[in-house]
Amino acid sequence: MTSQLGEHFFRHEYGRLVSMLVRRVGVRHLAAVEDAVQAALLAAVESWPRSAVPENPSAWLYRVAHNQIAGELRRQIRRGELAQQHARAALDSTNDAPGAVLAGDVRDDFLRMLFVSCDDAIPVESQLVLALKTLCGFDVREIAERLFTTESNVYKRLGRARARLREVPLELSDLTNEQLASRLAPVRAVLYSLFTEGYLSSHAEGAIRRELCDEARRLAAVLAEHPLGATPETFALLALMYLHSARMPARQDGSGGLLLLEEQDRAFWDQDAIQLGLSWLARAAEGDVFSRYHAEAGIAAEHCLAPSFSETRWERIVECYALLERLAPSALHTLNRAVAVAEWRGPAQGLAVIDGLEPPSWLLGSYLWSAVLADLHRRCGHAALAAQYRDAALRSAPCDAVRTTLERRLRVR
Amino acid sequence: MPNYLCLQRSLPGGDALGDKPSPAQMQAMYTKFNEWREKFQNNLVDLGGKLGGGRLATPAPPPDGPLIEVKELVGGYMIVSAASLDEAIHVARGCPGLVCPGSGVEVIEIHTPG
Repeated sequence: MTSQLGEHFFRHEYGRLVSMLVRRVGVRHLAAVEDAVQAALLAAVESWPRSAVPENPSAWLYRVAHNQIAGELRRQIRRGELAQQHARAALDSTNDAPGAVLAGDVRDDFLRMLFVSCDDAIPVESQLVLALKTLCGFDVREIAERLFTTESNVYKRLGRARARLREVPLELSDLTNEQLASRLAPVRAVLYSLFTEGYLSSHAEGAIRRELCDEARRLAAVLAEHPLGATPETFALLALMYLHSARMPARQDGSGGLLLLEEQDRAFWDQDAIQLGLSWLARAAEGDVFSRYHAEAGIAAEHCLAPSFSETRWERIVECYALLERLAPSALHTLNRAVAVAEWRGPAQGLAVIDGLEPPSWLLGSYLWSAVLADLHRRCGHAALAAQYRDAALRSAPCDAVRTTLERRLRVR
Repeated sequence: MPNYLCLQRSLPGGDALGDKPSPAQMQAMYTKFNEWREKFQNNLVDLGGKLGGGRLATPAPPPDGPLIEVKELVGGYMIVSAASLDEAIHVARGCPGLVCPGSGVEVIEIHTPG
């Protein structure tokens, strides 16, 4: 019975239905649309198990949600909260239900909703929350849990995004090709940060983090497979998501501790995901564009292709980091290049890379900076400096899992 | 085996509606309900449904005075068959969402002639 519906059926239907209805009744009614979709899903939960899952569950949900929103708009007109002429178009447009449930249109609605959310007048952290709420179907509590923040902070971010969409409602159908093209880079940036929130965070339990990565990849796949988003940068972004995800199962030991790259059992890497990542990377190389996503996917690909840690082609990785620094200058990328150089040419050469680098305070205060310096100094035999950085790294470790890993790695042998 | 009528009732002071479940929570509810249904499939005669508003119909116009308040039936009804009242309660209790904070279920034996 249950197997008829996918694992995330309700969450994914939520995003699909919100996009379809917002396109039809208008962005200004986003809140009412979300309520209508919620009610439709609840009706399904209450009635399907008692009778049967309808033949076309998505069409059933659309019909119920559409009746809900139409009823709500009529109520608003009666109460004088909504001018008749505004609602008229919205109500008329909801009559096209049967034809609208075509899969192609749905993907189009879904992407357009994503493009509308990625308005540069909305702060990126609000765009992220809006996408998680409206397209991924997480509620406020679940978003807070996944972004390690409070519910009130999520409400605040969501409020900012919704206020902007109310003030300057840009209708999904009105997005011009120019607007779509100009928003493509911000859309990718939001998907990228959604992915890194899940991938880099060391706080939460693995399953929750993984979900963010899966959602980012799902949205990126929709983007890559649609004419609006099918560009080399999008392909490279999707490639890097696959290639990073492939290695996630091996990052933790049986008890939830973090494993270093050289400690990971490569047999646990997901070969299917690696193959998908490599084929998207090949498509990304078809154009004459080289973006930061290309550089990052290239680095991830080198790791995935190396049969063992010692057989890694570090010179290629160093090259990719150098390109990444040029495309997206950041002291963090330089730090990463130093690590790769140290593996390639030895710890002293690695130290030489960051010699004279003045990292910004966020990096200087993070365990990453101290840990890399502790490790490189230890390997160069600079015991006093190594101990000093080691203590700093352990002090700034964000959680026990990271601290334990650092203690193991930075132990003086 | 006798049949039992199960009526979901709100408890005094309880709010059976509570917070709106998220889509992920709905998915979990749906899965649990299906598991329960499979487990007790031999006991489930009629899964019933939700109850709306109602009114008491009497031979004569209703007198003033206390009438059955149908409104307090917040949830719904279903019919289960069981060897005993205790078993019927066991089945009903296992139903996800039927017995939740703020609501309980009344299990009543249905006498059939024979």
